[in-house]
Amino acid sequence: MINRRDTLIGLAGLAGALTAARAQGGEVVIGAIYPMTGPTAQVGTDAKHAFDTALEVINTAVSLELPTAKNAGLAGLGGAKVRIVYADHQADPQKGRAEAERLITQEKVAAIVGCFHSSVSTTVSATCERYGVPFVCADSSSPSLHRRNLKFFFRTAAHDEMFSEAMFNFLDAQKAKGQKIASVGLFYEDTIFGSDSSNVQRKLAQERGYKVACDIKYRNSSPSLTAEVQQIKSASPDVLMPSSYTTDAILLVKTMAELGYKPKSIIAQAAGFVEKPTLDAVGDRLGGMITRASFSVDLGEKRASAHAINEKFKARAGRDLNDQTSRQFTALIVLADAIDRARSTDGQKVRDALAATDIPGDKTIMPWSRVKFGADGQNTFASPVLIQYVGNRFVTVYPFEVAAGAAQWPMNG
Amino acid sequence: MDQTGTMPAVSNAPAATAARSTFAQQRRRQLLQGAIVLLLITLLPLFVTNAYLRNVLVLTLLYAALAQSWNILGGYCGQVSLGHALYFGVGAYAASKLFVDHGVVVWFGMLAGGALAALLALVVGYACFRLKGHYFSIATILFAEIGLTLLHNWDYVGAATGIQWPFGADSWWTLQFARDKTPYIYVALGLAAIVWLVTWWIEDSRWGYWWRAVKDNPDAAQSLGVTVFRSKMAASALSAFFTAAGGAFYAAFVSYVDPDSVMNFRFSLLMALPVVLGGIGTLWGPVLGAALLIPLTEFSRSYLGGGGNGVDLMIYGALVMSVALIKPEGLVRLFAKRMAAR
Amino acid sequence: MNAAAWLQVLASGLLMGLVYGLVAVGLSLIFGLMDVVNFAHGEFLMLAMYAAFGLFSFAHLDPVIALPLVAAAMFGVGAFAYAGVVRHALRFKANTGMVQIFATFGLATLIQGAAQYLFSPDYRSIKGGWLEGHTLNVGGVFLPSAQVYAALVSVLAFGGLYLLMTRTDFGRALEATREDKGAVALVGIDSNRVFTLGWGLGAALVGVAGAVLATFYYIHPQVGASFALIAYVTVALGGFGSVFGALAAGVIVGIVEAGTAALLPPALKALGVYLLYLAVLFLRPQGLFGKL
Repeated sequence: MINRRDTLIGLAGLAGALTAARAQGGEVVIGAIYPMTGPTAQVGTDAKHAFDTALEVINTAVSLELPTAKNAGLAGLGGAKVRIVYADHQADPQKGRAEAERLITQEKVAAIVGCFHSSVSTTVSATCERYGVPFVCADSSSPSLHRRNLKFFFRTAAHDEMFSEAMFNFLDAQKAKGQKIASVGLFYEDTIFGSDSSNVQRKLAQERGYKVACDIKYRNSSPSLTAEVQQIKSASPDVLMPSSYTTDAILLVKTMAELGYKPKSIIAQAAGFVEKPTLDAVGDRLGGMITRASFSVDLGEKRASAHAINEKFKARAGRDLNDQTSRQFTALIVLADAIDRARSTDGQKVRDALAATDIPGDKTIMPWSRVKFGADGQNTFASPVLIQYVGNRFVTVYPFEVAAGAAQWPMNG
Repeated sequence: MDQTGTMPAVSNAPAATAARSTFAQQRRRQLLQGAIVLLLITLLPLFVTNAYLRNVLVLTLLYAALAQSWNILGGYCGQVSLGHALYFGVGAYAASKLFVDHGVVVWFGMLAGGALAALLALVVGYACFRLKGHYFSIATILFAEIGLTLLHNWDYVGAATGIQWPFGADSWWTLQFARDKTPYIYVALGLAAIVWLVTWWIEDSRWGYWWRAVKDNPDAAQSLGVTVFRSKMAASALSAFFTAAGGAFYAAFVSYVDPDSVMNFRFSLLMALPVVLGGIGTLWGPVLGAALLIPLTEFSRSYLGGGGNGVDLMIYGALVMSVALIKPEGLVRLFAKRMAAR
Repeated sequence: MNAAAWLQVLASGLLMGLVYGLVAVGLSLIFGLMDVVNFAHGEFLMLAMYAAFGLFSFAHLDPVIALPLVAAAMFGVGAFAYAGVVRHALRFKANTGMVQIFATFGLATLIQGAAQYLFSPDYRSIKGGWLEGHTLNVGGVFLPSAQVYAALVSVLAFGGLYLLMTRTDFGRALEATREDKGAVALVGIDSNRVFTLGWGLGAALVGVAGAVLATFYYIHPQVGASFALIAYVTVALGGFGSVFGALAAGVIVGIVEAGTAALLPPALKALGVYLLYLAVLFLRPQGLFGKL
């Protein structure tokens, strides 16, 4: 006899199967909106490699200690494979929004990841909120993004305030060990990245008693930075804190060398300073540079999954995972895991699954304690690390508990 | 009689009288064309229901309005401004600041932004109108770049962070709609229609004749009593007003402004390019040009851009080049021939 | 900043200004010749830089040696751009200004897309060239050897161009065609041929600039955009068509830019140059040495 309970269970099972069947029509589609053309097109290219590496983990059975690795495809959806549809936002918030709408209404994506540029993440996340589709912010670091009361916004990685705090915590710790650090020099580009970064650094410097020896906002993509560097040289800060993209980072380092200026120490806001073209072009002058990071390659020595993923990525991209690409990889894995747990591609269900995420840090490739989102969508456990460029590779130097060794300080005695 | 509306010499000879009435007929015909196109576009949202395509429609109509505004100064008055992004940005920021900080809705924002832009146009004009040709064009680019640099560094308007419009309920009053694009389609259409009408009116007005005289032969115009400088200023102010209104609309549409997203040089080009492709100094040229260029831009980016290999740029560039070379007088000529043949 | 620092800033501005002048002079030549502003000028520069990079990476030719090869290659590109594109844009007599702007804009976008397709968007640098890493220290002022080289090449190029224009038949034909296109046909000068060669020469000059820049600047498909606006401002400031004007204006722009960066927040350094242009042109609508 069929009673009510069985009927209900049967119906639920049917609904579940139908949802799964819809996805199992083979696949779950996720949208990725990145700059694919224009001056930052390389970011899009690298992101693709990061996502392709993640897709390998998700869609095939890989024996690594990572969410979704064990099964081929998403087990919760009957083995459905994940497919990514890429869209180009050309660094324009309006175009990003248009692409988000296209991906949601035409490609029927279950969620969107993106976007590198914080200005584009702003409009894309707003659109996703309006359509009830989750947006996982892989790599935009503006602190304002998670403070807009959005329910469908999730950021796996740290934001600028967390990054800069780590830098100053390190400086405080160095001072406590007896190092003389009295002044910092801020050097930042004039778009949203530089503004956000320098605002936090300026505030922290004042709060923690460091003199701001120079506070230089420079024009992004300038043909020449000589006058700017001359000002840094004249101010001679104990620690130079640059926030620059690749092209400016290369020019900055070259110009410093040309003017015969060796900064006592550098603590960089990643971005250009962890990109392969920069390290290839001027790496020989950056020995001892410290930068904040979300990830460090030397983690691979302690964690098998980090090493394996770095190798897979390197095979595709010809370079190690860095701050950027590690965050992109992780964002997709976390998202896929949430969809898997939700057993559905329904926006609200995926959103709830994301909100319930609680992945221990050692089940990721990142040096975090865990992945768990607050009510505002920010993962406050995404503790940044500081890494130092020594002998052509990056080594973790902070926090001291996870450091491979003591930091070489100062950079240029 | 061609579509540029050039006026034959006025006299009372029978041929001239006949020409005048043909001209009047043509004028009426243009209004009829306008009404038909307006009606067709009004019905379009019934058939185009996809959000992305509607987005393309809004952009196309907006750029038709912007191109038509640019045409007033660039096409009819012959002053090639490559710095119109300045006015667009001023409109966008004025509307944003008024709404976010003072709750003044975008309808007034458009007027305020337009007025501010018109004033700026007078300043720009004063500095630049004694310059000719490419010197003038470069000067206009620089004014826009100065504006962009100032926005990037001015905390009052948010500097590099920009201004985000608050999330609110759907409303015609604030012109904020979460998903529905239809209101935006109609507002953009309204704007385009208004600027089109203004252009239509210009074609047979005193100002219009003065502007065309200034364009064709400034020295001769001067000798005939046309105050060249004041004419250029008027054209510039009018053009700037409508461009800024478009900018204000754009700010309400995207609900977010930052310096590069509203005052970048590419806007200046994108306002002028449809006019060149469609037909400089013509009534329908800008509309035709926008109808061709904007969907091309959007579709090539959306359906080819994801590849990240630059193919969409190549196709876009090749197409722009081809139209500019094959039909330098503008696509509107394709229709003119057929009209003349009747 | 003390006096020594200022001296450094101004010296660097001078060197960079000579490079700006070199980037600009090709544009000035083409404009002076035929009233055409080449909107793809930045992309020509980018191609030249990639050519230098390619010769360095695959043929192991230092950019100093590769310079004449790059210039020759760019000559071909320029000549082709005229014959294949610009000549057709000039058919339409009215509004030629706008039509060529957009024809060359389309060309610029096409070249950018092609560069991304062929070379990928990655940033390249020439590492290990002869001029790498050497800096001259002249009384406390650091002058990177690559930039000193660039400045020298610039001065030589201007000198050579001057001689070409005034002492050779081709140069005189160029000048004559510039002054009166109609009349030259009467003396047997084929203006189409002159224009083609003129474009080639203009592009070759930008090729020299690219080969020189590649020794110390990074290379990617959009690198031309950073220099394009400065080039247009330099040409207009100096006066379209004036070779000497491009040199003088370049130096002025370089120094003003550097000085503004030292005085104001460097993010505003472009303002110094732009306001200078507007002020000068307000007083002299044809630019410093232009003929209008």
